[in-house]
Amino acid sequence: MSALTLTAVIFGIMLAFMAVRVPIAVAMFVAGSVGYLMQTGWGPFSNFLNTQAFARFASYDLSVIPLFILMGHFATQGGISKALFRFAAAVMGRFKGGLAMASVLACAAFGAICGSSVATAATITSVALPEMKRHGYSGRLSTGTLAAGGTLGILIPPSVPLVIYAILTEQNIAKLFAAAMLPGLIAMLGYIVAIAIYVRLVPGQAPEVDDADEKLSPALAMGVVPIAVIFTLVFGGIYGGFFTPTEGAAVGAAATLMAALLKRELTWAKFKQCFYATAESSAMIFLIFIGADLMNSALALTQVPNQLAALVGSWGLSPLMVVTAILLFYVVLGAVMDELSMLLLTIPIFFPMVMGLDFGMPKESVALWFGIMVLMTVGFGLLAPPVGLNVYVVNAMAKDVPISESYKGVMPFLISDTLRTILLLFFPAISLWLVKYIT
Amino acid sequence: MKTLESLAKFCAILAGLLLTLITLMTCASLIGRNTLGITITGDFELTGVAAGAAIALFMPFCQVRRGNIIVDFFSAKFGDKTNLALDRFGALLLALVFALLAWRTSLGGLNSWRTNSETQIIGFPEWVAYASMVPPFVLAMVIGLYQALFGFAVSTVAKP
Repeated sequence: MSALTLTAVIFGIMLAFMAVRVPIAVAMFVAGSVGYLMQTGWGPFSNFLNTQAFARFASYDLSVIPLFILMGHFATQGGISKALFRFAAAVMGRFKGGLAMASVLACAAFGAICGSSVATAATITSVALPEMKRHGYSGRLSTGTLAAGGTLGILIPPSVPLVIYAILTEQNIAKLFAAAMLPGLIAMLGYIVAIAIYVRLVPGQAPEVDDADEKLSPALAMGVVPIAVIFTLVFGGIYGGFFTPTEGAAVGAAATLMAALLKRELTWAKFKQCFYATAESSAMIFLIFIGADLMNSALALTQVPNQLAALVGSWGLSPLMVVTAILLFYVVLGAVMDELSMLLLTIPIFFPMVMGLDFGMPKESVALWFGIMVLMTVGFGLLAPPVGLNVYVVNAMAKDVPISESYKGVMPFLISDTLRTILLLFFPAISLWLVKYIT
Repeated sequence: MKTLESLAKFCAILAGLLLTLITLMTCASLIGRNTLGITITGDFELTGVAAGAAIALFMPFCQVRRGNIIVDFFSAKFGDKTNLALDRFGALLLALVFALLAWRTSLGGLNSWRTNSETQIIGFPEWVAYASMVPPFVLAMVIGLYQALFGFAVSTVAKP
């Protein structure tokens, strides 16, 4: 069997299993196993499996993922979000669509200590949605805003997808976080502008004036103090050279736990909820790691990814065209597939391809910038129909809003996403600006 | 299923406490390193090993909650009955994967025990990490098998 046929067989098996609702990780595992076995036989395959779980799970580098997830869930259960939203509402209250803008602001701030978009969306939704409803915001605008705002959880560091990209491509996590900072802030501003335009173009989505409940006061500003302290501690420590990203995640989790304990919000029942939620997301991600690992090993044995990279390099296409094509491919694939699985499966194939092209920048800059571009498409995939995970999560919490309304609601934000992605694609300097200051 | 679910919850809490312990140990080590100049030797090796055990211990709970992500784009029009049957098939395959992982990880652990492989700095025996992964893998397998044979708990939905 030729290498190309074999690759087609491996992908065919994976897609066939995925189509019939087999968990993505399992579909990858089975397809990878078949491909591996067909090339090496039982001996090498079984040896690979002997150490696979140990190598993938008991790894210091990867332990940053469950730690950041745990930190996010401590923050979720710790009652930090309510004070945060009240402060944001007082700041944005004077604008039309102010509460929606406040939700975006609260999501961005929460995203600064939470690396998951779903957790951010769910947390801020629980405090912001009832408020928006009470003030007469349409279900369309409120759920759309919160679904989009949730993606700031990953667009603003820390960010679980970015950590996964860093591990797959052996890039520096701290530098990737720095690269994501400015694009993340642009995303936040872009969403706020999108709301400002939307409430003026489409009448009846938001009240003319929010009758702001509270005026900005020092007491309200205290609401953001815990998050500001934790964020400064984690990122100050990482960039000040005091600790590694994994240690940063551990410190962040401990500090968030302290903040929650000080607020006297964390009962044993909530504590257990933190662990359950961490268990679910971590196990899901790491099982995909195992499946994608087998799949990628089987593919690497066929040599097809290398040949593909060489082939694309030999076409002499403009590098920007190749990256644009990859990003468009992600948008299409992301419509049917979970974004993390997509990254784990395709980055080992696409990354060497991109690194083989000449962008007139140092290789490391290309790697960082491409990481940010990939992150943007992940955010896009979390919102875009037919399966936008964030839209599902927020919509499930708003019982009286049809899902079609929520999808209409995310449209202005998808436009904002598209414009931002194009901006970052043509101006890598935006992503790379802050990295310069990090040694 | 009640028993299996309780066991899975127990594993998840154990793993959560283990992770919390890591965060506290890291803080202690960092404070020591940056103030007094003393550090917990090999703290990062312990972090790796403990995280490994924690992640394995998270697996059964994830399957109880049907948290392993699926693609429901193509099966959306099949009807609930067909989809439920497909999900049970998926649980069966997942059980097979965990059976394979449990078996091979046991062998890997035995091998590591025989060769006395240890972490580099503090010489923590690696077989302990292997050994901590096998029971949760077996539990995840049993949960998958149970779901394949008897269906899912009513309160859970497959996650797209």
